[in-house]
Parts: sequence; structure tokens; C-alpha cells
Amino acid sequence: MKRREIKIEDLANMIDHTELHIDAKYGDIKRLCLEAEKYGFAAVAIYPVNVPLAASLLKDTGVKVAAAIAFHMGAYPTELKVFETKDAIEKGAEEIDFVMNIGALKAKNYDLVRNDIRAVKDAAGDLVTKVILETYLLTNEEKRRACEIAKEAGVDFVKTSTGFREKGATVEDVKLMKEVVGDRIGVKAAGGIRSVDEALSIIGAGASRIGTSSGVQIIEGFKKRA
Amino acid sequence: MKLTDEELARRIITSIIEASVTEGHIKEFLEKVDGIPFYGIAVDLPFLSISADLLKNTDTKLVTISSYPLGGMTTEVKVKQVEFARKYGADAIDVGINCNAAKSGDFKTVEDDVRKVVNAAGDREVVMCTQLGILTNQEKIKVCQAILNGGSKAIKTNSGMVGLHTDIEDVELIKREFGDELIIEASSGIRTREQALAMLEAGADIIHTSTPFKMSENWKEVNFYEIVGLGKK
Repeated sequence: MKRREIKIEDLANMIDHTELHIDAKYGDIKRLCLEAEKYGFAAVAIYPVNVPLAASLLKDTGVKVAAAIAFHMGAYPTELKVFETKDAIEKGAEEIDFVMNIGALKAKNYDLVRNDIRAVKDAAGDLVTKVILETYLLTNEEKRRACEIAKEAGVDFVKTSTGFREKGATVEDVKLMKEVVGDRIGVKAAGGIRSVDEALSIIGAGASRIGTSSGVQIIEGFKKRA
Repeated sequence: MKLTDEELARRIITSIIEASVTEGHIKEFLEKVDGIPFYGIAVDLPFLSISADLLKNTDTKLVTISSYPLGGMTTEVKVKQVEFARKYGADAIDVGINCNAAKSGDFKTVEDDVRKVVNAAGDREVVMCTQLGILTNQEKIKVCQAILNGGSKAIKTNSGMVGLHTDIEDVELIKREFGDELIIEASSGIRTREQALAMLEAGADIIHTSTPFKMSENWKEVNFYEIVGLGKK
């Protein structure tokens, strides 16, 4: 998407308004939900423990509740990721952001990686699923392989990062991921995107969803340049 | 405080927890530290079976994690993870407390969560990971009280991996308030023998570290981070 073509509501609708600080309070979740509704963000991205509160606040607003599953290391047996996914949905989650089995990818156990992703996707039914690669830990070849596997498994998005590593989303990684997954699957960029410039350049690289705690700042910045 | 290497090892839990860990890494690490009588080795849930097998002829406890390091998972999920941990041979489980509830002053939710997790753990030890680094002194005491009320008798000071380090003052505070009621496992940023001994002197019972070789010249350099491809730490 060209920069000049982006309207403010399109940009807002690409943002997953995120609150994953371990020292967040219930009040921060309430603020997050109010802002998401006000700005028309795509979703709020939060821990499963906060899903019931967010789901009650965002009922009928059009803003989705996205639960962070297997955070942040992804090193959970598939059956436990599936359980966590179903539990989050039961509590009101409408989108599932989950970390893939990174160790299995490193060990070239691709069947395990694929089955793990597919099982979470199946548990999520019709809900939007985003599988997190944690690109910081991967070689370019591993990133490509993970994208191919995610595509085969049928998720809706491949996502760069959890936001808990030294490095989050980069323009290069988003380009690489988009190139592999093609048009049918989206790329979500997350981790370290704080300004409107960063947001627009990552969108220019092929991202169609952005995970950030700075959504308000990004939209306000966008208004200023218009 | 003076401890022999063996005495120190018996107060150490070595953590080999990372996102990119493979079975091969676990084997390599455990083979290289073979012979050091660690109190415990902590691994992610998928590696319990293989680790139980590798540790079977030792006294070393097999430790695993639940809702870790962020503490954002629901009680139902923690219970399921703890049940899995029991089934696959964990002796102890480090469980992240509901940090967001603690920071919101909702200590009842913290306590109820602990109680359900402890019930699910049966005869296995539950160590609640508190993230003292994000709590005020008053919150630290209230969280520890909630943990005791919920039926766990052990805390881990911080999870590591979220940029928090354990202060000696925190260990002293918990020791002063709770004495021997609560086992204190000091964790995060404890790298040297001096630091470890200082924590033990302040009242810690156990030290967590992923780089134990830095605590004795006699222990072979086994850098876990290097093994998993993250460079030396």
C-alpha cells in the first residue's frame, strides 16, 4: 500500500493495541479498551488473564480481543497450547496470537512445527490466528521455512515477534516473510514500532497488521502530518 | 559464608530454559554438567521426559515451569500445565503469579490462583514466581502472604528474561517478614559465587542460575546460551 493511499481509519484498523507489561493494572486494560474503541483499532492484544475484562468492555464495539498464547517462548507441548487456545476463546478471545515451537524448528523437526501450528489453528476454528516466529532467534533460512510451514498450516497471519526480545520487527524481515507467504496470508509486525514513520515503513514492506503499545501515538502522529 | 563446591551445588538450580532449546541442547548441557550435584535442573515442559531419563541416577530434582516468565496465563491453563508436569516426572514447578492482579491490588485473585495450582500439584513442590522487581515493598509482603495463604511454601524472587534483577534487600525483607515459613529461591542476575553467597547469607535457600560454571573454578565452562546459539552471556 502506498503511503499516500492510507487513510487514517485504514491505519487504525491495522493496529493491534497491545498491553503485555507484566506490571499492568486492571485500569491499564480498561484504558487500552477505551482507546481501542475510540480510535477504531483492529484489536487489543493482551494476556489471557485479562481476556474476560476486555471482552466485557469491548462487546459490540467491533474491536476484537486478541489473546497472547504460549507467551513468550512458545516452548509448550501442543496439547497445552490447544488447551490454552480453547480456554481463551471460552473466556472471550476472538483472535489468537501464538508462539510457534521455535526449538522444534531449530531441530529441523518440521512435522512437529506444522502439527503444532495446525492444532492451534483448528482449536481456534473460524477465528483469526497469528503465528509468531520470533525472527530475532532465527536465521533467514529458518524464517523462510517457518513461513512456508505456517502457510501450509493455514493461519491468517505470520507475525514477526513477541516484543520481549532485544529486537522486534524489521523492514527486512517483513519483506522476506511477505515474499514467502504471498497475498493470501498477512504479515503482522510487532516489537519496537513506536512512531508513525516506523509504522508506515513497515506497512510499505508488506505488513497489514501492527502490534504496538504506541497505537495512540502513531495515529496522533499521522494526524499531524496530514 | 564458606561453602565447598559440593555444598554450593546443592543450593543451586540450573535453568536451561529458552525458546530455541532443542532436545540435543538439553542432552549436551546435562552431559557436560554431569557429576556436579546440583539441587535442581529447570527445563521447559516439552523436555521433562528426556530430562527425567538423563537425571534418573542422580539426586538432582527435575524442575519445570508454568505460566512463565510472564505470569499471564489463566488458572485453568496453569492447572493443566501442572498436571502435565506431574505426569512427566517434574519434582517441582515454578509457576508465575498473576502479576497484573497483584499490581491491581487484587491479592484475593493471586491467592485463589495459587490454591488451585497447589491442589493440582499434589505431592510436587510449587514455587511461585513473584517478580519482586515490579512490586512495592508493601505489595511484596502482600503477595508473599497470598502465596502462603494459597498453600505454597516457596517463592522465586524474579523470573529472569524480563529485565528484572534480584536485590539483596528484597531477600532480606522477605526473610525478615516470613522467617522460615517461606523458602526463598533467589533468581535473575546472580552470576558469581560472591553474589550467590551474599544471597544465601541474606536468607535465600536456593540460587537459580543458567551459568553455574561462573561460581566455581572447578566447574567446566558450560555456557548454556552458547549451546542454544545466543552467544556467551
